Amino acid sequence: MAYAMTLTALADPTRRAVFESLRNGPAAVGAIAAGLPVSRPAVSQHLKALKQAGLVADRAEGARRVYYIDPDGLGELRRWIDQFWTDALTAFKHEVEHPDTPPGTLKGRNPS
Amino acid sequence: MSATIQITPVRKTVWVAATPQRAFEVFTAGIDRWWPKAHSLGAAPLCESVIEPFVGGRWYSKHADGTEAVIGHVLVWQPAERFACTWEISAEWKPDARVAFASEVEVRFVSEPSGGTRVELEHRNFERMGEGAGEKMRNAVDGGWPALLDLYAKSTSNDAAET
Repeated sequence: MAYAMTLTALADPTRRAVFESLRNGPAAVGAIAAGLPVSRPAVSQHLKALKQAGLVADRAEGARRVYYIDPDGLGELRRWIDQFWTDALTAFKHEVEHPDTPPGTLKGRNPS
Repeated sequence: MSATIQITPVRKTVWVAATPQRAFEVFTAGIDRWWPKAHSLGAAPLCESVIEPFVGGRWYSKHADGTEAVIGHVLVWQPAERFACTWEISAEWKPDARVAFASEVEVRFVSEPSGGTRVELEHRNFERMGEGAGEKMRNAVDGGWPALLDLYAKSTSNDAAET
């Protein structure tokens, strides 16, 4: 499964707690650690894994770094759905415009 | 934690050389003529796709092994203008009747001044995928994502049991 990595990243309960703590808005490592029974270094490690899975992004805010949920999260799954509809609408367009011609024999404008 | 994770909807637009009436007709009544057979959401190869033409109607597919798979139910039915349905597919991308709060697909058919029809598709509410997927999950979590994860874990362990 293409998006298994995304889901695997959330399989760890502590990591999921770190992830969910960002549901209320962007936060720095210290603030996240303060709300959880986990050390700062451990929170940093979990954030790193979440970032690699495309679930969390970060940015510099002055001297500190804040983490936030990537709105395009579940990246792989979303990309898969995106391609799924591109393929479907390409087939749909072909059927509307060339109902008597087999698909794949004509070039048309693809969905954007 | 009352905040909900919002996942950006998937939006697609395609222009077709046809009236909105015809585009709507082909999309819905004619779905079996264009829906890619490779896009099977059931366990067996796809034979036929059907969208029942009324609010509450099913979008379902018939498969080679005689089974039917429900993809969703019609939420909006406005011929030549708009069509929307639930998308009752689990995180494992399989039909799942337990997914009480599914994602949604909306398709709008807009007449273009220069001719033809702009077909706008939006697939949204992914954060609801897997929500309400069972009593246990409802009790255990307050959001859709952990439930999604549980569904995933469950489906992978089912696969392991079958092989």
